[in-house]
Amino acid sequence: MKSLIKAEIYKLFRQSKTYYALASLFMIEAVILFSAYFQGKNILDILLENLKKSFYFEGSLLNGNLLVYLILNTLWFHLPLILMIIVSGTLTTEYKDRTIQTTLLQPVSKWKFITSKYIIAIGFTLLVVLFLAFTSFFLSYSLFGKGDLIVYLNTLNFFTAKDAFLRLQYAFVAGALSMVFFSVASLTIAVIFKEATKTWIISAFFLIFSNLLLKIDFGENIFNKIFFAKLNDTWQIFFNYTIDWSLVYTNASLLIGYILVFMGLGIYIFHKKDIG
Amino acid sequence: MRIFLIALISLFCSSAFTQNADPDLISIKKRMDSIQQFSANLKLAVDISFINMPTKYATMNYTKGKPVQFASADFVMLPKRGLDFSLNRLLEYSYITVPRGEEIRRGKKHKAINIIPTDNRADFSIALVLIDVLNNRVAETEINTKKDGTYNLIMNYENNSKVLPSLVEVNFEIEKIKIPLNFMGKDTDIDRKKMKAEGKKTGKIYITVSNYVIKYI
Amino acid sequence: MIISGHDLSKSYGNRRVLNQVSIDCAAGEICGLLGANGAGKTTLFKILFGLVTPDTGTVSINTNSNKKIGGIIEGPALYDYLNAYENLRIFGSIQGVDVSNSALQKCLSDVGLPLDRKDPVRNFSLGMKQRLGIAIALLNNPACLVLDEPFSGLDPLGVSALRKLIVDLAEQHQLAIILSSHIIEELSKICHTLYVIKDGKMVNKGPAQELITKNTTTYSICATNIETADSLKEYEVVFKGQCAHVSITADKVPELIHQLHQEKIYITSCTPELSMEKLFEINE
Repeated sequence: MKSLIKAEIYKLFRQSKTYYALASLFMIEAVILFSAYFQGKNILDILLENLKKSFYFEGSLLNGNLLVYLILNTLWFHLPLILMIIVSGTLTTEYKDRTIQTTLLQPVSKWKFITSKYIIAIGFTLLVVLFLAFTSFFLSYSLFGKGDLIVYLNTLNFFTAKDAFLRLQYAFVAGALSMVFFSVASLTIAVIFKEATKTWIISAFFLIFSNLLLKIDFGENIFNKIFFAKLNDTWQIFFNYTIDWSLVYTNASLLIGYILVFMGLGIYIFHKKDIG
Repeated sequence: MRIFLIALISLFCSSAFTQNADPDLISIKKRMDSIQQFSANLKLAVDISFINMPTKYATMNYTKGKPVQFASADFVMLPKRGLDFSLNRLLEYSYITVPRGEEIRRGKKHKAINIIPTDNRADFSIALVLIDVLNNRVAETEINTKKDGTYNLIMNYENNSKVLPSLVEVNFEIEKIKIPLNFMGKDTDIDRKKMKAEGKKTGKIYITVSNYVIKYI
Repeated sequence: MIISGHDLSKSYGNRRVLNQVSIDCAAGEICGLLGANGAGKTTLFKILFGLVTPDTGTVSINTNSNKKIGGIIEGPALYDYLNAYENLRIFGSIQGVDVSNSALQKCLSDVGLPLDRKDPVRNFSLGMKQRLGIAIALLNNPACLVLDEPFSGLDPLGVSALRKLIVDLAEQHQLAIILSSHIIEELSKICHTLYVIKDGKMVNKGPAQELITKNTTTYSICATNIETADSLKEYEVVFKGQCAHVSITADKVPELIHQLHQEKIYITSCTPELSMEKLFEINE
């Protein structure tokens, strides 16, 4: 399996589309950063309007931490869209070019082949999130400096710069898990549909559908707690004043469970299906 | 460390003209005026229902005749009222005092006086000052401002001889923040009716003042 | 037998694609599979490769090598964005073969590919891609090679070169080789055994030359003044220019040529014309 994984890494990074994707993500991030700067000004004005009657504020809340937080708010839609295209492409391109046949004509086990693709999908996703985390912190801090973070989540929560930095990192980790879920789902969709365009459409639909479901409140029942769409908001938990760690661990475990289910399903279907 | 000035808290030494000002009030004022300069460390703890904020730290530097300087490493929210220890803001414009008898606070009797400004430039309409006559200092102040609601300041002192407080509790009115529905952060449960019904709330901020370095005239 | 497929059947929905088809090939033997487009050749090969599961029947490959079977299906499928070395390296590394530069150079020279081409494979001609496909198929020393329409799209020079390569592989490396085509001329020149498939059924099989001879009922004999030949009068003949298409069995051809020679009619060519209808008749 190690040689299969190495081969997948080699193929992924030898294709120009991987670099186009990374460049696009970086540019999207930069655009979000600058629009967040202007959005942030308005938001702060609104939030602090009433407080300004009673308080003087010293120190800037429109700083790198707030901007990273605003980046995070939109990142979890744009990022999986691009990730899904690249990840599903690792399989659909092989179907299109029939290199999957050539590979399986070698003494290579089917389930190992597809598992190595899943492993690379997960690894690539984590790498991309790491890249974006690093660049967003770097850009935000170098352009806008550090400072307290203000977040409105039913209450107005203020976090010190150090605390904010830590919470933002946790948020990236939680978000990374969500991204892995979407990447794995897109690869499973590719196993089922094989063809690139169909796979993109279904994957995009899946992403949009999940995001829409996220906003619907299903009430105080177990469904609201365990449905996968709801778990993708776990990163927000880190911006409650007190972090509910048990909820974080529960959500993370459930999401890992969903990831394994989708992965298992994809491996099973691929293994059972005829090639060609 | 960022140093910022709060120009409005300019603790001028000049006192406004007034007729028949309460002698105890004047005595406290004189005592305050004897302070040329002081610096202290501030610890600010916010207690407002819809705000969660960690304890903040700042340093304060007062020099007679100059605006007060504050310095802090990070973001701080300073109450507009409550840092004026010297009564100067209340006594900036011409005023009259009206005795209101005595009130008991924390088991002690305090002299109650109303300060009513006679000059339209004053930013408050009436203030109630509770004076600890024995120790020649202010124990509590309630200020009805013209634009910023009512403030209530409770002073706590380290011991009987101190004129500068070690703990100031500032109570104020605050409207719950209005936020638009589509906004950054989680789409929170927004109950508009409930929010409208809630209206004004009170908040508190505890200012712990320590490490005073005082220079008298 | 190195490779044997026995009573293989496959249906897709209501469509029966293969019906009780059997095929086998021994070491050093080149077997040809002849059939029209859609006859079931590719499906049969996919079953032999294990890419598709048959509804009934078994496939057995009698070898101890790590890689039992190598081949190409529906044309060579390569990573277009990688060069020849890199393609070999990818496919070699996943099965644990030596992918050092010297090993790869040997692979390329074995199939007659140049060693100095470092540009991506998308720039290769079809013939070169076929060769690279065969090089990849030969990685890890399989016991048999199955090539699906390997001559398809090649120019005459390319066909000739590939034919020579296949013959060398069978003779020198003792591989069992199965080729498919829908063009008899491509197969007749190199195959030892011929299998004929029609509508998913094996209708004819046997030693290639024997099968061709048996099903050749017309010979095209060309000579000056052939239309004046008396010897041809006892046969059914169609004259076209200086050639006579004679309905005659193979065993009578030498005598006819002798008779024509005696009439001082010197033939310039004698070409057998295989009857496809006869070849594709069910002969089991």
